Amino acid sequence: MNLCHLMRLNFVRASLVLTGLALSACATHVDVKGNFPPALTHQLPLNTVVVFNPDFASHRFESTEGPEVSISVGQIQVELFTGLAASLFEQSSSTRTMPSDTEADLILIPSVEDVQISMPNESQLKVFEVWIKYNLQVFNSHSEPIADWIMTAYGKTPTRFLKSDTEALHQASMVALRDAGAHFITGFARVPEIQQWLRNHRPIVTASKGSADL
Amino acid sequence: MKSLAITAALILFFTISACTTTTVDEYRENSTSLVLASGERVVVLGRRHYADYETEPDFIDCIGDKLNADKEISVLPEREFVDLLYPWFEPRTAPLGLKRLAKMLDEPIIAQRFKEQGLHYMIWIDGSTETTDRGGSVSCAIGPGGGGCFGFTTWEKTSTYEAIIWDLQKLSESGRVKVEARGSSYMIAVILPIPIVAQVQNQACDGIGLQLRTFFIGHRSSEES
Repeated sequence: MNLCHLMRLNFVRASLVLTGLALSACATHVDVKGNFPPALTHQLPLNTVVVFNPDFASHRFESTEGPEVSISVGQIQVELFTGLAASLFEQSSSTRTMPSDTEADLILIPSVEDVQISMPNESQLKVFEVWIKYNLQVFNSHSEPIADWIMTAYGKTPTRFLKSDTEALHQASMVALRDAGAHFITGFARVPEIQQWLRNHRPIVTASKGSADL
Repeated sequence: MKSLAITAALILFFTISACTTTTVDEYRENSTSLVLASGERVVVLGRRHYADYETEPDFIDCIGDKLNADKEISVLPEREFVDLLYPWFEPRTAPLGLKRLAKMLDEPIIAQRFKEQGLHYMIWIDGSTETTDRGGSVSCAIGPGGGGCFGFTTWEKTSTYEAIIWDLQKLSESGRVKVEARGSSYMIAVILPIPIVAQVQNQACDGIGLQLRTFFIGHRSSEES
């Protein structure tokens, strides 16, 4: 291997490293992390199991249109829905697969239908926006479907509040996840199919009425 | 020496020019001061439900600091309140009117949380600070022998905010304060850029914060400040 060949090889390596650095500088990767407060609500006298499928638990939104953006929301969604179920139901547990035989009154399976983001350079608005569309499937203890609840969540952050795209998208995602929590707590007992099931289900109680009516 | 004097004169000129005009209007239900008993608190909240703007959290903190300046008015921080009442004061669920708040307080667990926190008044702040005009340009260049900037730019900011005070015990409106602050900022660049920034949002915070204090402890506090 002569000197010329070595120099050429080093030049190619350096170019690849620089290209990689330049490309990663344009990309925005957000790993959403944070905490949610416990929800202030009446507990429904129900025992529930929340099924977090691997797709849901490791969900990552990726957009390659325009600047590359990826938002990882899997882990924080699991934390959010675990906390929400603990706040809304008297007993709740979680699992990774649909239980075949369960003591629970209801089985909930959340999934992400769609995630959309809007950046100021696309929308010409001075806000970063995040929409998350969930499908919350509700089954009874015999694994018979009760409801498919499409639940949307929205979060935004004005550009001037923040220093970077990553920080702005992180905050907008957190606002969207809190919004999902608000929608879940205030809307669960209002979904017609769930409302019907609650009416027919024996231990259900007027205690659930208060928060649901607000 | 001469150039130093010219620079100093320019800075002085622009410092004087970068002032802010603030207009404060208020409306009171009656002339008596709002009473806060021992252990009672006030919470200041920003409106966040509009699509194109939201009231800045740091502006809410600033008003809280103004109200709590001499420790006479105890203020519950916004973030803490919103977390304690989650999910009832999120942009989706926060009450826009007193009727809705009254319905919310019919719910014993929510009313109990308000009571535990000793909340007597809720102050809603609605508005934002926007750049309303911009002109001029500054360009910078760098080369082997050094670099520098040259040019002149100006921008105008307008802060418009309205505060509405709700009495949580009477479930009625106690008063309103509206503030509008305008100010022009400049940047002159002769090798080094010198920004002369009008503190528009701070002036709006001063205006609205001090006026809100007069609702609780009369005009004494604003005169002392």
